[in-house]
Amino acid sequence: MSPVMEHLFFGLAAVVATVSSLLVVTRRNPIYSALFLIVMLSAVAVIFMLLDAVFLGFMQLLVYAGAIMVLYLFVIMLINPRDGDLSDEGGAPERAFAAGVALLIFSLLSFAISHSQQVEKLDSAGSIPALAAVPDSHGSVASFGLELFHNHLLVFELTSVLILVGIIGAVHLAMRRRSTSRSPSTVGDGQVTVDV
Amino acid sequence: MFSLATLLYLSALLFSIGTYGVLARRNILVVLMSLELMLNAVNIAIVSFGRAHALTAFSGEHGGQIFTLMVLAVAAAEAAIGLSLLLVIWRRWKSIDLRQLCQLNG
Repeated sequence: MSPVMEHLFFGLAAVVATVSSLLVVTRRNPIYSALFLIVMLSAVAVIFMLLDAVFLGFMQLLVYAGAIMVLYLFVIMLINPRDGDLSDEGGAPERAFAAGVALLIFSLLSFAISHSQQVEKLDSAGSIPALAAVPDSHGSVASFGLELFHNHLLVFELTSVLILVGIIGAVHLAMRRRSTSRSPSTVGDGQVTVDV
Repeated sequence: MFSLATLLYLSALLFSIGTYGVLARRNILVVLMSLELMLNAVNIAIVSFGRAHALTAFSGEHGGQIFTLMVLAVAAAEAAIGLSLLLVIWRRWKSIDLRQLCQLNG
């Protein structure tokens, strides 16, 4: 892809990511938030692919936009909050406080970025694709997997333990036990009941 | 435009938007989604630093990408645990409003 096209696509993905993340935090209905979060995650996947991380971009699409967001949407539809359940969001002082903290964090981070000599040194060499001329196989499944399994095997195996703990914890928490459910009236219709 | 500084500014912007979501919203679901937003902002920074240092990094050519894959795994585990906690809270109090869940206050 020509550099001009790369810049164009990067700008497009950046604008889409920013606008959709703003919509995520401002929509009142959580379903709209989840749908805009999918758009934002896809834009981030495009940015990953432009940074030569093709495999990671596809993982982002599969794991985030696919699996995690389906989990979110499933939970939203399972608990199905009605309009009355969605209380009003925080008042103006609350939002102003949050916006102030966010603005403070952004200004601190941009101050650090604009004054970093390391970033300036790297930037003077040109845009990222020209900065480090990596081989064509960079980011492909083969080279990524070779490095992952040669140099970072222990981390990879520890990740499987983490996921296993996550699965067991989620199943244990979401399981309905009769001894702990205090009010039987809260048992809704159509919900899956798992007896121990 | 497609420089390291631009990517870092984008990452900082998305991170602050996520911070606003975590602080301003009352719905636990949206707070969890804003957390995912912040994780993704950090991922952009990690991948762009990894790409800029691809040839010189001690951790190898794909160090940043492998780190991001680990963040992805942690995010998946966090989403599973967080959402099942949310289900428990919903069954117990019939509410997902963070401001109503203040029973630990003195």
